[in-house]
Amino acid sequence: MILDSFKLDGKVAVITGAGRGLGRAMAVRFANCGADIVAAARTVSQLEETADLVRQVGRKCVIVPTDVGESAQCNALIAAAIKEFERVDVMINNAGIGEDSFGKPIEKITDEEWHRGIDVNLSSQFYCARAVIPHMVAAKRGKIINVASGYGLRGGKHNYMYACSKGAILQLTRSLALTYADNNIQTNCIVPGIFPHNEAMMKFFKGGKFIPIGRPGQDEDVGPLAVFLASEASNHVNGELIIIDGGGLAGGVTPMGVAPGNPT
Amino acid sequence: MADVKTLPAGLKEFSLDGKAALVIGAEHAVGRVAAITLAEAGAKVLIASQDAGTEDNLKEVAKAIEGVGAKALIQVQRAALRADLSATADLAVSKLGGLDILVTALDAPFYGPAENADDSAFDRVFEENFKTAWMAFQEAGRVMLKHGGGVIVNINSVLAERGVPNATLYCAAKGAVRNLVRALSLEWARRGIRLNMLECGWIDEEGAVALEAGDFSEKLIKYLPYRRLVKPEEIAGALLYLVSPAASFVTGESIAIDGGLLCRV
Repeated sequence: MILDSFKLDGKVAVITGAGRGLGRAMAVRFANCGADIVAAARTVSQLEETADLVRQVGRKCVIVPTDVGESAQCNALIAAAIKEFERVDVMINNAGIGEDSFGKPIEKITDEEWHRGIDVNLSSQFYCARAVIPHMVAAKRGKIINVASGYGLRGGKHNYMYACSKGAILQLTRSLALTYADNNIQTNCIVPGIFPHNEAMMKFFKGGKFIPIGRPGQDEDVGPLAVFLASEASNHVNGELIIIDGGGLAGGVTPMGVAPGNPT
Repeated sequence: MADVKTLPAGLKEFSLDGKAALVIGAEHAVGRVAAITLAEAGAKVLIASQDAGTEDNLKEVAKAIEGVGAKALIQVQRAALRADLSATADLAVSKLGGLDILVTALDAPFYGPAENADDSAFDRVFEENFKTAWMAFQEAGRVMLKHGGGVIVNINSVLAERGVPNATLYCAAKGAVRNLVRALSLEWARRGIRLNMLECGWIDEEGAVALEAGDFSEKLIKYLPYRRLVKPEEIAGALLYLVSPAASFVTGESIAIDGGLLCRV
């Protein structure tokens, strides 16, 4: 039956950026579908909160404080997951920074800011994939889910590091997908639109009123998409970017609510 | 049929319990999978075909739908396209109690040199791949707009995204549907209708014209990331995701089921 193919019973998912936002929402959703979680982020107190939510629905959660911008820490994260569960079925590369940093003129951006952003947003996904793939190859199966952004497909004013790192994630996804198709490892990419995580972002994005569907994304919207991509239901979906943005990227050549002829 | 009570909490939004669905093109392998998938997830399904002579096929699909405990209804259309589709949308409302989901599984391939294709080929390829989808969206949309919304999924091809020699008209018609889905998804975004698409890779389907010609199939399979064709049933997961409330923030989008083929240079 089709619904059974979405179940994640007993699967082990490593999720970076699991202390809040999309990462936490995916962790809780996965637990509600039967998965155990290895939660990674820098801030232990936030990881503890995620772990509580996962354990409340009866699943295991191991927390691994990690700075994903450091390759040794990504290696240690995967090693910790293997030590606890002896395998990783799903790797979700979700950690990211800088979505609230738009607006800084190019001449004010330091080398350190640029490199730190690229390390956390992009290199982390490479580091975690590199560490987890040998285990998935040995297991003859695996699912890698990379989280990018609509800014990986379109540009923005004063938006350099974020747009570049997210755009490169799409290419990392495609090349991993082609390389490991023979090993039964599917790599796909979630491309979220506007998901304001705080008041300042909500204000910056004007409450999401320009989003075609009429509302901004909520963290919980991403959970079911990640479940689909982690489950057997997506076994022939590989190297794909799935945009979850309320329709924004389907358009963009006219302002929202402005159309030729009668207004929409 | 899906029993929502026994579903894990994290999968509730994937249920189609109580929904009414219309599938056009269920006489073909992919459309058949679509119809049965919706039924398995709990929907009542009306299956409709544009082709007289497909009734036996549809009866078999209806039997499979009833086999999973869902309600099935058949409509074979013989009159003009517009009137047919309009009547079918209304039939869903009168017999199934509404129209929450439309799936169009239309596929009329055409392969051959562009300079030799006559106007009848143009008319047939655009009518069966594009015009039928356009009119089905309009007619189902008319009903959905009146009743507070719905979900539309078009089952398309990876050829909507890429060019293939000797498949010019087909690529053009498929690409036209791709951009129709983008534009219409925006137009109806605030009126409760979501529109999305599946893009199938090369499907392992009986009678597939391209795959039976010469050594194309043999050379193609070596080129595919999975080194095999896509089985029709492999579309089921992505279809259910897109038609269900699980994808309530997804519109104007397309999911390829191609093993990674579109990633290739």
